[in-house]
Amino acid sequence: MDEYSPKIICFKCNFGWGYLDDKKEINAVMKSTVPVTCSGKVDSTHILTALKEGADGVLVLGCSQGECHFQDGNYQTGKKILLIKKVLTSFGIEPERVRMVFSVDPDGIKVPLEIEEMRNEISSLGPINIGKCAMAS
Amino acid sequence: MWKTECGGRTRVEQAVKQFLPPCQVQCPINEDIQRTNVLISMLPEDPNTAQEGVQQIGDYLYERNPLFTVCGYVCGLCELECNYSSQGGAIRRRLLKRFISDTYTYNLDEKEEFNIVKNKENVAVIGGGPAGLMCAFDLSKRGYRVTVYEATARLGGALWLIPQYRLPEKVLTSALENLVRIAGIDVKYNTRIGDGKLTLDKLKNEGYKAIFMCRGTPTPRVLTFGKEQLEGQDLSGVMYGHDFLYEVSHGNIKSDYFRGHKVVVIGGGNVAFDVARTARRLGAEVSVACLESENKSSRDGIPADHEEIKGAWEEGIQIHYSRGVKKIHGESGIFQKIECPLCTRVFDDAGFNPKFDPDDTMFIDGDVLIITVGQGPDKSALQKEGLLDEKGRLAVDPLTLQSKTKEWIFLGGDVRKIGFMVEAMRDGLYAAESIERYMRGLDMHEGRTRAYEAQEIPRSRHYKHEPDIVWIPPEKRMHFQLFERGFTLKEAREEAKRCLTCGPCISCKACISIGLQDELPTVTVHEERCSGCGICTSICYYGSAQMKHVADNKVKSMTDMFQCKACGMCVVACPTLARELIGCNLEAKYSGAIAAL
Repeated sequence: MDEYSPKIICFKCNFGWGYLDDKKEINAVMKSTVPVTCSGKVDSTHILTALKEGADGVLVLGCSQGECHFQDGNYQTGKKILLIKKVLTSFGIEPERVRMVFSVDPDGIKVPLEIEEMRNEISSLGPINIGKCAMAS
Repeated sequence: MWKTECGGRTRVEQAVKQFLPPCQVQCPINEDIQRTNVLISMLPEDPNTAQEGVQQIGDYLYERNPLFTVCGYVCGLCELECNYSSQGGAIRRRLLKRFISDTYTYNLDEKEEFNIVKNKENVAVIGGGPAGLMCAFDLSKRGYRVTVYEATARLGGALWLIPQYRLPEKVLTSALENLVRIAGIDVKYNTRIGDGKLTLDKLKNEGYKAIFMCRGTPTPRVLTFGKEQLEGQDLSGVMYGHDFLYEVSHGNIKSDYFRGHKVVVIGGGNVAFDVARTARRLGAEVSVACLESENKSSRDGIPADHEEIKGAWEEGIQIHYSRGVKKIHGESGIFQKIECPLCTRVFDDAGFNPKFDPDDTMFIDGDVLIITVGQGPDKSALQKEGLLDEKGRLAVDPLTLQSKTKEWIFLGGDVRKIGFMVEAMRDGLYAAESIERYMRGLDMHEGRTRAYEAQEIPRSRHYKHEPDIVWIPPEKRMHFQLFERGFTLKEAREEAKRCLTCGPCISCKACISIGLQDELPTVTVHEERCSGCGICTSICYYGSAQMKHVADNKVKSMTDMFQCKACGMCVVACPTLARELIGCNLEAKYSGAIAAL
């Protein structure tokens, strides 16, 4: 267990995160990062499926509040994540496994840092135990 | 590295149905406002790398509008129609453009000449103002050999009447000189058509196949009362605003020329306020008398811009609203005072027809009177060339700008209709298109009137208030340096981010240009799955998700492709998975990430 490192799926909005960076670089380093044009495109099923398929946590990086290129995409996803946390809690899954960050980082330097930070914070939770909570139903 | 592309797939397309953001509809030359706003909002935070970005945005703007560095100081028509004005103030597009201009002007001298093969006919442009230069630039890009005939020793025309505290001389000269250099336009200075034997017919015989005539309005309008020309306009101390600004811009008037003098300016337009504020900066005590009333929204409201009036007021200029001039009083040939009855109405249903109240008259005294009530074209020269109709008006087709008397002559700019700088520039572009059609023998009218439809404001939860414009305090701005502070990089990015990007993606494509995505995604509806619940219409910010009636009295969802931005809100909200994003590869990237776990 001392080798354990949580696996994280990260969605990052292109408009706020790392658009100056050569995108391929970020993606090469982190295969589990999904670039989306607007965090509003992230669906609840995306998040839940990721957890079901073996991710220990899901991180969504959205633009700062009020700066969404598509008006309120980040706000809507923020709302969605709040609800998902409640649903997860009721299934016995720690809500910390889903997180959203509202900020801006044109160079994309903060993307690995945010993932690392989340990894550290949820590593004490251990691997996710889906079987117990019957996600499949 | 910050890099934007303009060619190939990133080139902006003309939509079949012309939905545009309202600012671009308002802009006479339909500049790509939304695209540049988005690009500015995505500039890097680091000033050095941002410089490269600014340069690229500038290059893009320059191709469409080589005078954008000037527009950034003086225009701002687009702001009048901004959707945001109802939610906290229009986007300060003019200052954003000025932000680009401040860097771009600095590097303009080094910009490389366009590489154009000029194998088409010779065209002459009469007049080197904004209309003429725009036409020459556009024709030159199309491969015509263009010669500009300029009557004075410098290009720019009426742009030189804009005082330097609004438009620095360096910006203007750099824009003008580099425009003719970069586009490879020939200029003949000090050549006035109509002087001696140089007529339009002679130019035609010299081999110019078409001529664009844009000589502007060099003749000041004289002051009248009733239908009569007012006496006393030849008194010593009386001058016309147009001439005054011309002399000031040529540096013929010393900096304290009016010290200790009282100057009275007549007129309520922007030029009158330019004159008043210039006179104030030359040391005078200034009052302005205008026919129109203070209430700008009424029919008789003052035509000058709110900012001009505010600036004048701050600088201690006295404004007498609703005052006509009945008589100019002078003594032994020197101007003394004007007699001003109250104007009760400026316009009636038939047009300009001022009514006065003779019982309410005031006198405004001074030692200098500057009359700025408009200017007009040099009619006698136009008459001589046979370009007027029997009623003495310019005989010109308002759409094609082709002269009705001589088909190889095209007329535009202020000479046709006095307007803003950018309206003259639009005339230049229209004329260039007409000349191309005329030369190639194409239909002059077909497909030219495009009905643009402005997009409505998208729904949003977060609106921000407009930033304050920073002006130098009045007591410190009594000089001819700029009095308005431009945006810093940080301010420009923040202001550009405020833009709601109301316009359609197809006329913007900033995201593709900067490499965020490879193509514009679209949203399709799988009708067999759609239950017709309508959730998509309530979530859509742009009004593009709509319901339609289909057979069997059923309702199905559909997407208006012109308004859709493929933000994905409806896709995420749809409970039956009937909506799908096409072209953004989200699912593929997602499964890739899952597989890599």
